[in-house]
Amino acid sequence: MDKGEPLPAYEGLAAAFAKAKAEREKQEAQGLKPTSGDAEVANKQGEVQFKALHGILVAFFGLVLALHALGIYLFTSGFLLTRLVLEQKSECGVLPIEIPSSHTSQKWNPGSAEAGCWHPKTFDKAVVIIVDALRYDFTIPVSPDGPQKPHYFHNALPILYETAVQNPTNAFLLPFIADPPTTTLQRLKGLTTGTLPTFVDAGSNFAGTAIEEDNLVAQLRNASKRIVHLGDDTWHSLFPGYFEPNLTRAYDSFNVWDLHTVDNGVTEHIFPLLHPSNTSKWDVIFGHYLGVDHAGHRYGPHHPAMTAKLNQMNEVFTKMIEQLDDSTLLVVMGDHGMDAKGDHGGESDDEVQAALWMYSKRGVFGRSSPEQVLPPATAKERPVSQIDLVPTLSLLLGMPIPFNNLGAPIKEAFIGPSGSDLMNLATVNRLAAAQIHRYQEDYALARGMDNSVRARSLSLWQEANDAWPSIDLKRAENDAVHKAYNAFAAYQAETLRVCHALWARFDVPRMYNGVTILFGALVLLSLYARGLEGDSSELTPVLLKSGGLATVAAGVMGLGGSFAVPSFPRDHVMIYSAAMGCIAGIAHALWYLRRRVVSPFPASIWGWASVVFTLALSAGFAANSFTIWEDEILLFFLNTFGFLMAISSFRQGKPLDRALGCYHSVLFIILTRLASLSRLCREEQMPFCVSTYYASANSSTSATWQLAIPYIVALLLPSFIRAYYTNTRNLQGSAVTWIDFALRFGLLLSAAYWTLDAADDGEWFEGYSDVLKSTKVIVAQITLAIAVAFGYCTFAWAKPFLNIETRFKGAEDRGFEGSSAQVISEGGTSSITVLGYANVHGSRYAFVITVWLLIISLVQKPMGAGAIGIAAWQIFSLFEIVDTNKLADTPVGPVVLGLLGSFHFFKTGHQATLSSIQWETAFIPLRTIRYPWSPLLVVLNAFGAQILCAVAVPAVVLWKQPPKKKGLVGDVAKALATHMLFYAVVNLATTLWAGHLRRHLMLYRIFSPRFMTGAVALLVVDVVVVFVALVGARTSFLSVGEVFGWESWALEREARRERPAHH
Amino acid sequence: MTSSVQSLPASKTADIAPPAHTGPIDSLDTDAAKLYTHVHPVLLLSLYAYRFKAIVADPVPALASTLPWLLVLQAAYAIICLPPAGGGTAVREKEKRRPGEKKKKVERNRMENVWPKLLLICLSLVGSIVLAILPIMITLVLMGAPLTTYLDRTALCAAHLALLTTVPLVYVHGISASTCRKIVGLMVPIDEVQGGMIGTLVGAWLGAVPIPLDWDREWQKWPVTIVTGAYFGFAIGKTLGGSLLKGKKISFDP
Repeated sequence: MDKGEPLPAYEGLAAAFAKAKAEREKQEAQGLKPTSGDAEVANKQGEVQFKALHGILVAFFGLVLALHALGIYLFTSGFLLTRLVLEQKSECGVLPIEIPSSHTSQKWNPGSAEAGCWHPKTFDKAVVIIVDALRYDFTIPVSPDGPQKPHYFHNALPILYETAVQNPTNAFLLPFIADPPTTTLQRLKGLTTGTLPTFVDAGSNFAGTAIEEDNLVAQLRNASKRIVHLGDDTWHSLFPGYFEPNLTRAYDSFNVWDLHTVDNGVTEHIFPLLHPSNTSKWDVIFGHYLGVDHAGHRYGPHHPAMTAKLNQMNEVFTKMIEQLDDSTLLVVMGDHGMDAKGDHGGESDDEVQAALWMYSKRGVFGRSSPEQVLPPATAKERPVSQIDLVPTLSLLLGMPIPFNNLGAPIKEAFIGPSGSDLMNLATVNRLAAAQIHRYQEDYALARGMDNSVRARSLSLWQEANDAWPSIDLKRAENDAVHKAYNAFAAYQAETLRVCHALWARFDVPRMYNGVTILFGALVLLSLYARGLEGDSSELTPVLLKSGGLATVAAGVMGLGGSFAVPSFPRDHVMIYSAAMGCIAGIAHALWYLRRRVVSPFPASIWGWASVVFTLALSAGFAANSFTIWEDEILLFFLNTFGFLMAISSFRQGKPLDRALGCYHSVLFIILTRLASLSRLCREEQMPFCVSTYYASANSSTSATWQLAIPYIVALLLPSFIRAYYTNTRNLQGSAVTWIDFALRFGLLLSAAYWTLDAADDGEWFEGYSDVLKSTKVIVAQITLAIAVAFGYCTFAWAKPFLNIETRFKGAEDRGFEGSSAQVISEGGTSSITVLGYANVHGSRYAFVITVWLLIISLVQKPMGAGAIGIAAWQIFSLFEIVDTNKLADTPVGPVVLGLLGSFHFFKTGHQATLSSIQWETAFIPLRTIRYPWSPLLVVLNAFGAQILCAVAVPAVVLWKQPPKKKGLVGDVAKALATHMLFYAVVNLATTLWAGHLRRHLMLYRIFSPRFMTGAVALLVVDVVVVFVALVGARTSFLSVGEVFGWESWALEREARRERPAHH
Repeated sequence: MTSSVQSLPASKTADIAPPAHTGPIDSLDTDAAKLYTHVHPVLLLSLYAYRFKAIVADPVPALASTLPWLLVLQAAYAIICLPPAGGGTAVREKEKRRPGEKKKKVERNRMENVWPKLLLICLSLVGSIVLAILPIMITLVLMGAPLTTYLDRTALCAAHLALLTTVPLVYVHGISASTCRKIVGLMVPIDEVQGGMIGTLVGAWLGAVPIPLDWDREWQKWPVTIVTGAYFGFAIGKTLGGSLLKGKKISFDP
C-alpha cells in the first residue's frame, strides 16, 4: 500500500481529471499542466490495448467455462441412469403365454378387446383421479385421544378409509409407493408405462416430452377407447393428441401459488361427464387435481389450507361415489407424497408414500384374510408399488399389459369378493410375469446382455412354470395354486430387483473421461491462478491462442476419429478429443512459458489455509455425514478463517490497521454466526436440527415476524455500505443517489413484496386477493427495474466516485489527506485535493455488487433476504480485512468468498436436495411461466449467495489499491481464477465421490444431489465470472482510465515488450 | 515491547509490571523440573483417561469434578517446571553464572521479592482463569457450539480449555496488554508454554471433526470430543514446543 507516501508520478495524470472537473465547477485550476499531444496518442493506445487484453481474458475464461461444461456433460451423461427404450408394443391378440383351453369359454375367448384381451375384463369404463401429492397418512383417521395429536392434514379426507372399511368388496385403500424421483412427470411415466424412472429425466420437469414406450394410455387409444383428460397439463406433453379434444380440459400445472383454478376446473367438467346422459361419450377419464400439492408447496401440510383442500376432495369423492354407475371403476391415487414442508422430489419416506383407493358399485374386490379389511395403519404395511397399477388397470379394463411393465397385479383387485379366488390371482400373476419375461428377453437381446445377470430370475421363471401345470383345474387345490401364485410373484419381484440394479448402470468410460477433463482443467486453472509469476494477464493471449487452436484441431481430429471408430458415440469422441486438445494446448503454452511458472503450492500460512480448507471440505463429501452437515462445517471453516484474520490483525504494526482489522474480523465472525441461525434442515439432519427458515418445520411460509427482516435490511444495510464508501471519501456523485436512495428504495420495495405476498397467502384481506396478486407482481417488477435499468445504467455510465476539493492554506487539516485523498496541485494560497483517490478502483467496481445485492434480495424469502444482507455486509468487511492485513496477493479473499457463497446457499433456505429448490420463485415478478426468465429466476434464488460472492471477487484485489498500480488487471484475473478454482475443486470432488460411490445406498439421497449442486454451482459461478465480474471490471477500469489516463499503462507494457525474456 | 530483558540485573519495571520473556521459555534447570516436565503430559492424559468413562456417561458433573485435579496438575507443572513472570528461579540460576559487580545485592533483593510475586501470580492466575472462561465460551459458540442449549457443558468445556492454556501462560508471562497481544497474535517464539496453548486450541479444533459422523457413539456427545482433543493437543503441543519447534516463530506474511 502506498498510503501516506508522496506519489509525484501521478500528478500529471490526475491533473487531466482535475482540470475538466475544476473548470466545470468554476474552480481555480490555472496552475495545471495541459496534456500534450503525445500523451493523448499514448492514452488512446493504452485504452485500445486494455480493451484487447480484456477481450482475450473473457475468451480465456470462456474457454475454461467450456472445459468445465464439457467435463460435466460427459460425466453426467454416463452417470445419470440410462435405460434402453424398446419400440415393442403389446398386442391384444398376442398373448405372452398360452392360456389353458379350460380357461376359455363361450363367454370369453382370448384376443378380443370386447370381452378382454388377455383376461376377461371386469369393467367397461374407468374414472382415474390423481390427487397430486396425496400422502398415505392424509387418508388414515387419527383419533384426537390417541398418542399422536391430529395435524391439519388428518381426518380431513375420511371417505376413502370409511368406504374401504364399511364395504370391503366395493373399495380398498392401500399405501402406494412411488419410485423416486418423486416429481409428477416421472410419476406419470411410471404410472402409465409400469417401468422404473431413470434419474436423468428428473431435470425435465420444466419441459415434459412425449412417452414413446408402450403404455396404458396408448393401449386404450389403440383399442379405440375414448379418453378424456381433465387437469394438470403435464399429461398433454406426455400424451400429445391422445385425448378427446372437445371434452378435455388442461390447466397450467406450475403456478403453485394457485390452489383452486385447476381443482375447480376438473370438478366443474367431470360431474357433467358422469351424468347418465353423457356416460356414452367416453370410456376412460383421467382427472388430475393439483390443489393438495400446491397447498403443500405454498403452506406445507400443517396448515388450515390443507384441511380445506382435503375437505374439498372429500366432497368431490363423496359425490362421485353417488353418481358412479355399475360398470365404471373409480380409482383415486396420489402420484407421490410430500415431505414435512410440503415439497417433494426426493426419496424420503414421506415423499414416496402415496395412497391408492379403488371403488366400484359392484362388489368385486376382496381381501385374502379378514384382518386385512382394515386399511394398513401405516404405509409400511402391505404397500403396493405404483407400477402395480399398470397391470391391474390393464387387466381390469381388458387391455393387454403394456410391453415394458414390471409391476404385478394388485391382490385385492383379483382375489374376488369372497377372498378365495386364488386361481384368478394366480392366472393374472402368470400373465403379468409372462409379459415381464417377454420384455426381459427382448431387452437382453437389444442390450446384448449375457444371462448371468438374470440367472436367478431365469431359474425362478423356470420354477414358476414348473409349478403351474401341476394345478388340476377341475379340482381347485388351494396349495398348488398358492404355490404357483407365489412362484410367479417371486419371479416378478426378482426381476424388479434386477432392473433396479441394472438401470443404476453407469457408462463408466464416459464418467472416466468426464473426470479426466475436469481434472485437467483443474490443474491448468490452479497453475493459472496461483502458479504464474508477475502479471498473469499478459500471458493469457499465448495460453488462449494455443488452447483455442488445439481445441479446434483436436475437435476435427475427433470428428474424423469418430468415423473410424463408429462403435463409440460421436458426441463422446468429439467432446473428449476437443477438451483434451484444449488442455494439451494450454499445457503446451505453459511449458513454453515455463520460466514464468512457479509452484502453485502454497508458501505462506494463508496459502496453506486456503488449500487445506478447500481440500478438507472436498474430502468430506466422501462421507455422507459431512455432506449432510455441510452448513455447519462451512460455519466452522469460515469462522476459523475469521479467527486467523483476527490473529493476523493483532500482529499489524500500525495501530489503525490493527484496530480496523480486529474490528472487521470480529464483525465477520459474529455475522457468520448470526447468519447461521437461519436454517432449513434436510431430513437426514433430524432430530439434531431445528428449521428456522419458515414459520415452522412443517411450513413453507414465513412467520409474520420474519417479514420485518427485509425492512431491517433495507433500513440498515445501505447505511453500512455507505460507511464503507465514506471511509475512503468515495461517497461521491452517483454513488450517493444509488446507495442513499435507489438501493434503499429498492430494498424497501422488495420487503413490501414479501409483505404483500404474506397478506395474499394468509388471506389477511378477504376479497382483495386479485388486487394483492397484481400489486405484488408489479412491485417486484419495479424492484427489478430499479436494479437492472437504473442500477446497471448508473454503473455503466458513472464517473469514478471522486471529488475535487479546493482548500485555502491554513484551513484546518481534517486528517484524511494522504490516506484517501490526494493533493494534486498547490497554488499560492490554496490546494486542490482529489477526494476518494485511494479507493477509486475498489469503490467504482463495488457498485456492481450492490446492484446484484438488490436483484438477489428480491428473489429470496424474508429470512433469505436477511442472510443475503448479512452476506453483503460480510463481503465489505472482508475487503477491509484483506486490505489492513495486506492479503490482496493471497488466495484468501477469493477462497473465503467461495466459502461464504457456499455457506449462504444454506442460509437462504437451500440444501443439496431436489426438494429444497424453491420453484415458486419463478412467479415473483411473473404470473405465468416464461422462458428463459422462469428458470433464470429459480437459479437466481437457488445460487443467489454464490452469485453475489462471485460478483464481489474483483473488488477484493481492487479495494484501496492505488489507481496506477501495475498489473491490476492481472490481479483481477488471478483472483477470479482462484475463486473458480475453489468451486472446481469442490465440483471435482463431489463428481469423484458420486462416481466412486455409485453403488452406495445413499447415492440418490445424498451423493448424487450434492454432485448436481456442485456442478450447477460451478457453471453458474463460471458464467458470473465471465459475464458479470469480468465485464464489470472492464466498465470499472474504463471509467477510471478515462479520468486518470492510460499513458503509463501503454508505456509500461511497451517497455516490457522491449525487454523480452527478462528471466 | 515495554518490558526489560530478563537477564538484565535490577530491572526497575519488575516490581510494577511483571516483565515478559522475549525469547523462548526454558524450563527450570532443576532435577525436579527436568523430570516433571516429561511426567506432566503423561499424568494429564492419565487423569483424563481415568475420568473419560464418567465424562462420557454424564459430562456435566464429571467435567466439573475433574477441574480441581486439572488445576492441581497444571499449577504443579507451572511451579515445578516454569520460570514465574517477573523473575524467579530461572533468573537466579542464570545470574549465578553471570559475573557482575552488584550480583549479590540483586540476588538478595530478588529473594525478598519472590514470595509476594508468587502470591501475585497466584491471584492473577485465578483471576485470569475466571476471565478466560467467558471469551473461550464465546469463541466456542461462535465456532458453532449450541447457542441456547447445553450452556453448562460449553462452560465446563471452556473451563478445561482455560486451565490448559492460561495457567502456564499467565504464570510465565503475567498479565499485561502488550504480552496479551503478543500471545494472541502468536508473536512470541514457540516454547513449551506457547506450544501447549496452540496445541490445545488445534486439538480442540480437530476434536470437532468427529461430531457430525453418524457413528452413534456415546462419546460423540457435546463436548467430549473437544475436551479430548484439547488434552491430547496440549500434551503434543507442549512436547513439540519444548523440543522440535522450540524457538521457531510463526509467520503470517503472505
